[in-house]
Amino acid sequence: MVSLWRTVRSIQRTGLKEWWRQMQYIGDAKSGRLVGTDQLGNRYYENYNGEEEVPGRHRWVDYAQHDYNGSQVPPGWHAWITHMRQLPPHEDPIVQKYTPAWQSPYVENLTGTRGAYRPYNTTKPKVYGWEPKTADRA
Amino acid sequence: MSLVLKAARTTASRSMARPNTLFTAYRSLHSTKPASLEPIPTSSNDPAKPMTALANRDSNQFGLEMPNNKAEYVLSTMDKIANWARQGSMWPMTFGLACCAVEMMHMAAARYDQDRLGVVFRATPRQSDIMIVAGTLTNKMAPALRKVYDQMPEPRWVISMGSCANGGGYYHYSYSVVRGCDRIVPVDIYVPGCPPTAEALLYGMLQLQRKMRRSRKGVLWYRK
Repeated sequence: MVSLWRTVRSIQRTGLKEWWRQMQYIGDAKSGRLVGTDQLGNRYYENYNGEEEVPGRHRWVDYAQHDYNGSQVPPGWHAWITHMRQLPPHEDPIVQKYTPAWQSPYVENLTGTRGAYRPYNTTKPKVYGWEPKTADRA
Repeated sequence: MSLVLKAARTTASRSMARPNTLFTAYRSLHSTKPASLEPIPTSSNDPAKPMTALANRDSNQFGLEMPNNKAEYVLSTMDKIANWARQGSMWPMTFGLACCAVEMMHMAAARYDQDRLGVVFRATPRQSDIMIVAGTLTNKMAPALRKVYDQMPEPRWVISMGSCANGGGYYHYSYSVVRGCDRIVPVDIYVPGCPPTAEALLYGMLQLQRKMRRSRKGVLWYRK
């Protein structure tokens, strides 16, 4: 639970700079074991001490990007952070064994950019650009 | 031995058949090739150059976010302040039409707790800035939807929630259902699902925040 001592303890463990970053991005002073870092540079932590973290907040991610969103968590780490897998992807033998070599690299949600997914579509467009038609002057 | 060779051959042919790129990051509006210096990569692991920025390279939006002079710098900073204020208090007008509305209520409830993002349901269109169209839009309801949308003050956004609102969904071939609420109102965010989970709708709200952050109305006015 949030308390003054927990905040002080977290600052002691992580340092002032990391605490400031956490207050900007997570909004809470957290401290725990660094479980791993994914290919995008996001850092993943866990803390199973019930005195320090409420159950449900005991696994968390510190995003690398300033403009973060949930789709920046790759699938293996998503499985870890939502407890579909107990072990993180670099320690999980089953994930290691069943990740195919030809799997394409993970890309975050690109909605709103030029890389946004556009399905193949044969329907008529609903919106037309204005094409001025003028009749010839007599 | 022959099995190994055969397996190698099939993987090779498969990798040749598979398209090399995940997506094209530019639209081919012109017959000539784009004049960008190097091709845009299909994935990026560098947090300083994320894929969202790479995919938007050389676009109008990218140019809009890069101030050219001091006046534009000031204006874009003021735009950012306005965006921050807007994304911090989104008041959605609830337009619950069907079962999606239940999931919309779950977004307001304790687990997903929309209030921590400043999202508060407001039952009047005159004091709300987002409309969540949750559910099947029937022909009979369509004029009411448009009327409510017209009563909302600018700036306003619309979230289309669920496959019925996105494109008719299950009732696409019904005689009495509008095939997507984007035939009635302009839609900003489409949330897929039948019904979408409360988590999905909350992610849609976060994507709308992202869209709000891209707004540069002051810079646009200055450049015109």
